[in-house]
Amino acid sequence: MTPQMIFLMFFGGAAVWFGIVVFRTLSMVRSALALLFSQTAVGVMFLLMQAEFLGVLQIMMMATEMSVMAIFMVMFMMDPGGMGAMDMTHQKRLSLWAGGIGFVAALAVIWLADWGPANLQIPDATEQTAELGRELLGRSMFIFESAALMILTAMVAATMVAIHPSEGRKR
Amino acid sequence: MIPELIIALSVGAALFGVGLYGALSQTNLVMIIMGVELILAAALVNLVAFWRYLYPDVPAAQMFVLIVMAVMAVEMAVGFGIAIARFRSRGSVEMEEARELKG
Repeated sequence: MTPQMIFLMFFGGAAVWFGIVVFRTLSMVRSALALLFSQTAVGVMFLLMQAEFLGVLQIMMMATEMSVMAIFMVMFMMDPGGMGAMDMTHQKRLSLWAGGIGFVAALAVIWLADWGPANLQIPDATEQTAELGRELLGRSMFIFESAALMILTAMVAATMVAIHPSEGRKR
Repeated sequence: MIPELIIALSVGAALFGVGLYGALSQTNLVMIIMGVELILAAALVNLVAFWRYLYPDVPAAQMFVLIVMAVMAVEMAVGFGIAIARFRSRGSVEMEEARELKG
């Protein structure tokens, strides 16, 4: 067993464990922090798989995203600290079955599929980032620009949805 | 058989299962968004593993990861926009109470 496999298993296990904690803890702020740790462990897995740029991007993006999520938790939840031990779940048995079946089906595909030969000749981090830049501004530019437009549209749409209707009428 | 690929894909499968459970079982909109985030994280792990162990010389595979990250950001922005609108009109983001599309 190589050190890379051991670390992949460790951080993969951490990502899944914190993912479970998200739905097990009663405190919503702890939920947001557990999700942050889970996403950070995923980012560390990217670093272990030598995708340095994507790993750093994942950790930075998720740190910001989860901080915002924690603030929203405190603003919107009736019991953000989990002191009242409120149950905010429904159809638990069905959800467990759906999650379990999804997991087992994905595992079956992973173990039964023929993934072909491994290609372990990986370019170094500088070359990877340069190649990604060339890809984004070359062959995949249309897709990249579409993603940018999608984010802009979502930002405008989210702001319009969030504006209180009476604020529009006052002006 | 590539053991590192199998480990990474198994982690992805577990994250997908946990995320699906969360998205289906939670009644609060923000918690449902968290479940969807976990499902998208599973997709990210799979994409990076495929790139690393099968096609490390194809940069388009990394571009897919960036697109999924953009989808995660968009999903959160729109989800929170809807949460704010819902909270303002009904004072709650409990999805059990949101059985109609009006207001």
